[in-house]
Amino acid sequence: MIDRLFGDLTRAGLAALAAFVLLLLVLPGFATGYILSVTTIILYLAFVGQAWNLMLGFAGLLSIGHALFMGIGAYASAYLFARHGLPPIVGLIVGGGLAVAVGAAISALAFRFAIGGVYFALLTIAFAEFTRIMVDHARFLGGTEGLFLPVSAESRQGFDLFHLRGRPEMFYYVIMLLCLGAHALCRWLLTSRAGYYWRAVRDNPQAAEALGVNIFRYRMYAVMVSSGMAATAGVFYAFFYNNLFPEQIFSVERSIEMTLAPIVGGVGTLFGPIFGAFVLTPLGEVLTWAIEWLQHEEIIGKQVKVDGVKLLFWGIAVAAIVLLQPRGLWPWACKRLGLIRAPEDREEGR
Amino acid sequence: MERLSSRTSRRSVLAGGAAAIATSIAPFSIGRAQASKLKVGVLLPRSGPQAQIGIDCQRGADVAINVLKAKGFPELEFVLGDTETNPQIARAQAEKLIDQGIHVLTGCFDSGQTLAAAQVCEQKGIPLVVNIAAVPSLTDQGYKTVFRNFPTGPMIATDAFQLQKELYTAAGKAPKTVVMIHANDTFGASQADAAFGLLPKMDMPYTFVERISYDPTARDLSAEIRKGKGTNADAVWFISRLNDAMALCREMVKQRWEPMGILSSGPGWYEGQFLQNLGKHGDDVVSFIPWYDPNKAMSKAMTAEFTKQFPNLQLNTNHAHTFEALLIASDAYKRAGATDPAKLIEALQKTDIKDNVTVGPGVKFNEKGQNTATRCSAIQNRGGKTPTIFPAAAAEVKPTWPMRGWDKRA
Repeated sequence: MIDRLFGDLTRAGLAALAAFVLLLLVLPGFATGYILSVTTIILYLAFVGQAWNLMLGFAGLLSIGHALFMGIGAYASAYLFARHGLPPIVGLIVGGGLAVAVGAAISALAFRFAIGGVYFALLTIAFAEFTRIMVDHARFLGGTEGLFLPVSAESRQGFDLFHLRGRPEMFYYVIMLLCLGAHALCRWLLTSRAGYYWRAVRDNPQAAEALGVNIFRYRMYAVMVSSGMAATAGVFYAFFYNNLFPEQIFSVERSIEMTLAPIVGGVGTLFGPIFGAFVLTPLGEVLTWAIEWLQHEEIIGKQVKVDGVKLLFWGIAVAAIVLLQPRGLWPWACKRLGLIRAPEDREEGR
Repeated sequence: MERLSSRTSRRSVLAGGAAAIATSIAPFSIGRAQASKLKVGVLLPRSGPQAQIGIDCQRGADVAINVLKAKGFPELEFVLGDTETNPQIARAQAEKLIDQGIHVLTGCFDSGQTLAAAQVCEQKGIPLVVNIAAVPSLTDQGYKTVFRNFPTGPMIATDAFQLQKELYTAAGKAPKTVVMIHANDTFGASQADAAFGLLPKMDMPYTFVERISYDPTARDLSAEIRKGKGTNADAVWFISRLNDAMALCREMVKQRWEPMGILSSGPGWYEGQFLQNLGKHGDDVVSFIPWYDPNKAMSKAMTAEFTKQFPNLQLNTNHAHTFEALLIASDAYKRAGATDPAKLIEALQKTDIKDNVTVGPGVKFNEKGQNTATRCSAIQNRGGKTPTIFPAAAAEVKPTWPMRGWDKRA
């Protein structure tokens, strides 16, 4: 099992992974509130990035409306908790189930009529927008005025995992486990029959079909797994932020946000979305810090504004990566640091 | 050679990573507070879609520094934060500012971002003085550290009706029918809902004949204006943002729709760019909004300093409410005599400011941290300016009602 999950890693790769997990585990012990908050955002982006990557990277299906599935999970769990007092696990089952059903319906509709490529992407945007407008008018979900989760003073200081009410450290560990769990799931899926079929369908659907792969079914599986993962992220989001507004949750910006980490890290790679999230956000922060420090040391004037620099940097970084490392930073880093075995070694290893 | 370069690169990566972690973990110590200064975190959307509004709010904060010092309040030191118009970032930035040692936080203009920051403040026991955010739940969630001097959505809607009554009584002419045209976004739809819900309880002289919503990003709003004109309503009530307000007004002129008056309870119809671009066609519009009282002594000092610092800009609600949030924080610090957040919270709960800048009897918070006495104003566009017409105590000019026809303007 271990060999199946981590058989592609070299010793250096395994050591790096262990060090990474260890660092994540001990981080709350010494990090400031801000670092913990930023790392929570990074892990959240890494988690949703993996969900999105499963569809495009593994199965070759481009979604630009993934906020739809995340939003369904968020709204379902928040509604059940705020209005009926049901714990998030119920919200996860209902919201996750609903997101998977919606994902299945969209994919059935698309693949039944052979809608693929950018047209499939447009379909996902259309459904996300359609859902946003629907939630805008859904009074029982708070409509445009938002849906709020009750937060008591005691719950903010506690560690109630069952109701997901507690301190930021608790949310940090929850999203960390989700992120690492998603990574293990993706590794397992990729080495399963479905994973091989997905890659075959992604690389050459006609050839895969000719070899007997049911591309309709396996594409649908990819959408369903990915939408379920996105809905799980939505449940986390709802309980961490405690307020949901349709124009923020279902926005195209949120869908695009989910794609950034995998694009930077490497679409189709296992660790790329996590690596991308850990590169993008801290680099933006370091850049902001560097400008503030230069101003403090009076090396540059106060007229140089820090605001928006991070966004500008993200734009430049994505453009540079697309031009210079179109396969993403993770494959490049792996090659340089020798973290993954070459494919021929792997075959020998099995 | 290749091996060497690879080794060097690995080392640099590790060194770079370690440096990045070290620098990010070590608390950044720009401008540590002096004992006598109150360190205020000013958290605003300075980049992203709301960047212009965030920058505008900062102007109000900049004006407050000099005015409050001249009025004998303790000195303020700002630590600036940018929400990037994103609640996730707002939460992280609130943490960052608190890590940097702020004593009080102010912001964040937008309800979603303010709610995210409020959770952090509550957790860390740092007072949050809200400058602008209208969602009622902000002060309904039982937070002990949140203080809001801005009216809630329902308060704004109620005031819009009451101010209209004053307007119609003073002018001696009231519409019998009104058509509502609003942007279909969070703000527009919630305001429209509140107005329709309140109308039966407000004993108004008119009824709503139709509600027309539109996509605020749409370029062409001719169909909406045609539909509105077709209702033959006596007056039209808009809830719009800037670009759609300009498009709607131009379309009204084009289609020669001249109702008794144009009412607005959104930000678009009184903004500087609207006044500049629409010229005389932008005149006579009446907006019902949280505003400042130009007749108060503190407002006069604020206006004088604002004109000095920003001679080409007009004072607006973003400036006034951010200014007042800092006045509240400074006043609490003056009374508390210490920067200890618990003492500041205690002082904020006992706030009773009479000489403030916004409309109403002053600043006093209820047990939820909401100033329930703060009121909105009716302002009217006049030749590129926006004088107050109601309430009477804050009025600068008499109202022009009904509005003048499009070709009867000088």
